[in-house]
Amino acid sequence: MPAAPALPELQRRFLAALYDDAEPGPVAAIAGNGLEPDARLRIYRHSCNEIQTGALRAAYPAVLALVGAAFFDQTARGYRRAHPSGSGNLQGLGADFADHLESLSALAGFPYLPDVARLEWRRQLSALAAEAELVTPDAITQQLASGEGSIEIKLHPSVHTLDSQHPVLTIWRYATDPTPEGLQLTGDGEQVVLWREDGEIAMDTPDAASFACIDALLHGKTLGHAHAAAKAQDSNFDLSACLVSLAEHGLVVASPHPAPTRNLRHAADAMPAR
Amino acid sequence: MTHQVATGVQPMPVAAGIGLRAPHVTRVLIERPPIAWLETHAENLFAAGGSLHNAMHQIRADYPLSLHGVGLSLGSADDLNTTHLQRLRSLVEHYQPELVSEHLCWGAIGGRHSNDLLPMPFTEEAVNLMVSRIGQVQDTLKRQILVENISTYLRFRGGEYSEWEFVSTVVRRSGCGLLCDVNNIYVNSVNHDFDPHVYLRALPREAIQEIHLAGFTRKEGLPVPLLIDSHSRRVDAKVWDLYAEAIDLFGPIPTLIEWDQDIPELEVLLDEAAHAEEVLDARRARAA
Repeated sequence: MPAAPALPELQRRFLAALYDDAEPGPVAAIAGNGLEPDARLRIYRHSCNEIQTGALRAAYPAVLALVGAAFFDQTARGYRRAHPSGSGNLQGLGADFADHLESLSALAGFPYLPDVARLEWRRQLSALAAEAELVTPDAITQQLASGEGSIEIKLHPSVHTLDSQHPVLTIWRYATDPTPEGLQLTGDGEQVVLWREDGEIAMDTPDAASFACIDALLHGKTLGHAHAAAKAQDSNFDLSACLVSLAEHGLVVASPHPAPTRNLRHAADAMPAR
Repeated sequence: MTHQVATGVQPMPVAAGIGLRAPHVTRVLIERPPIAWLETHAENLFAAGGSLHNAMHQIRADYPLSLHGVGLSLGSADDLNTTHLQRLRSLVEHYQPELVSEHLCWGAIGGRHSNDLLPMPFTEEAVNLMVSRIGQVQDTLKRQILVENISTYLRFRGGEYSEWEFVSTVVRRSGCGLLCDVNNIYVNSVNHDFDPHVYLRALPREAIQEIHLAGFTRKEGLPVPLLIDSHSRRVDAKVWDLYAEAIDLFGPIPTLIEWDQDIPELEVLLDEAAHAEEVLDARRARAA
């Protein structure tokens, strides 16, 4: 009887077998006791696949609905092999799923699917984002009165954007809550803003100028840059209305490096943490 | 090193609690049902924010809490994932749970995770590794942890210990507590053809601080009987019998009902917890 390999080798071979059916695993080290060692190993293969596929199903309900369970599970299997789980926390599994879908020739006829997946991953990130100290609409108004050059706007960690060439939010809503009359697509793309509100994920497609402003702020641009980006979309863009609306939704937060203006600091300090 | 319970943390009530899972969070939050204590998977709280944290802050105020880790991979031949461990430490400091537990298993190697509870070989090498890792976790958390015996579907050749010797040796040498999963003992007794009563009697009773109960499923079509620890059913009658024996042996111990798949209405879990409570009460009555 061959000696069992030392623990590192045993575990490496065991784990390789969980991700790849062609890997035999450490079968010589497994006691059959009435079953083929491979049959015992298959129980773990199946379990690992079920656990990780289940996590992907939970993170990507619209993709699941759109492609069907059989195709989704097959795709999940390929994804697991290409992108093995890198954490003991399943909440992080699936970050590259959209890119994986994009790489599949079988899905070439469904060009919107990767963006539906990107939207779903942003929903997950938004749901799990940290809380932050909010800035009030009044504080924003006061700041704007003092001149936008001195204002630093930081959006809530739950805010995300997705600029899609496809009607991605319309498709997502239909996939997760289909209507009997079916889905009529115009073919126009959608720019989606996501955020967390009262524990739920909210999604909206604002006008192009507001999206440009929010997207710029989200990517760390200055308020002046964000304003310019919005103006490029709509010369009548109202920066104050946009920022106040964001603050009213609880989406403007105190900067970790507070802007050097007295009013904002004062207002932020007066706000209870949400 | 021996670790005391962290300052300010209360002992867990010697009563039956339930595992808090997502479908029941809102009801527990709103109705505050009479449950002796709650246990949640630590990793579900690893994110920086989200609705579960908001709920847990409120729930924690009214219920004793156990944080049950499922992803630390204590038995990996690799070093422990310090990011995972530090996140667990932050959670423990924040929620100050009455109990913190993990599993006597491994789940990852070389940066790849199975997200499952995988079996250890019962060797001296594995004992030494487990003892070292548990010590590292207890030093980091600055408190004692419990480790749980897992259900397994295979045994490695060349074992130097029986399972109960392995569990007991790791617990004694590391100074951790034992989370005795009675269902897992029963499942393994069928899967590996041993007497579960021998297992129970061999455990270090002074180390047992929590008991788990759950339902299993039977895998059909195999030449040998095989049970799967599915956490998808009521506790089996034979596991209830074994639990009663455990309580006879160990005295009343905080007991948890786990249910992770096909999760039923909360009332079903409360009913199972009430059954466990009857067993605890009967033991107390006999002791009186």
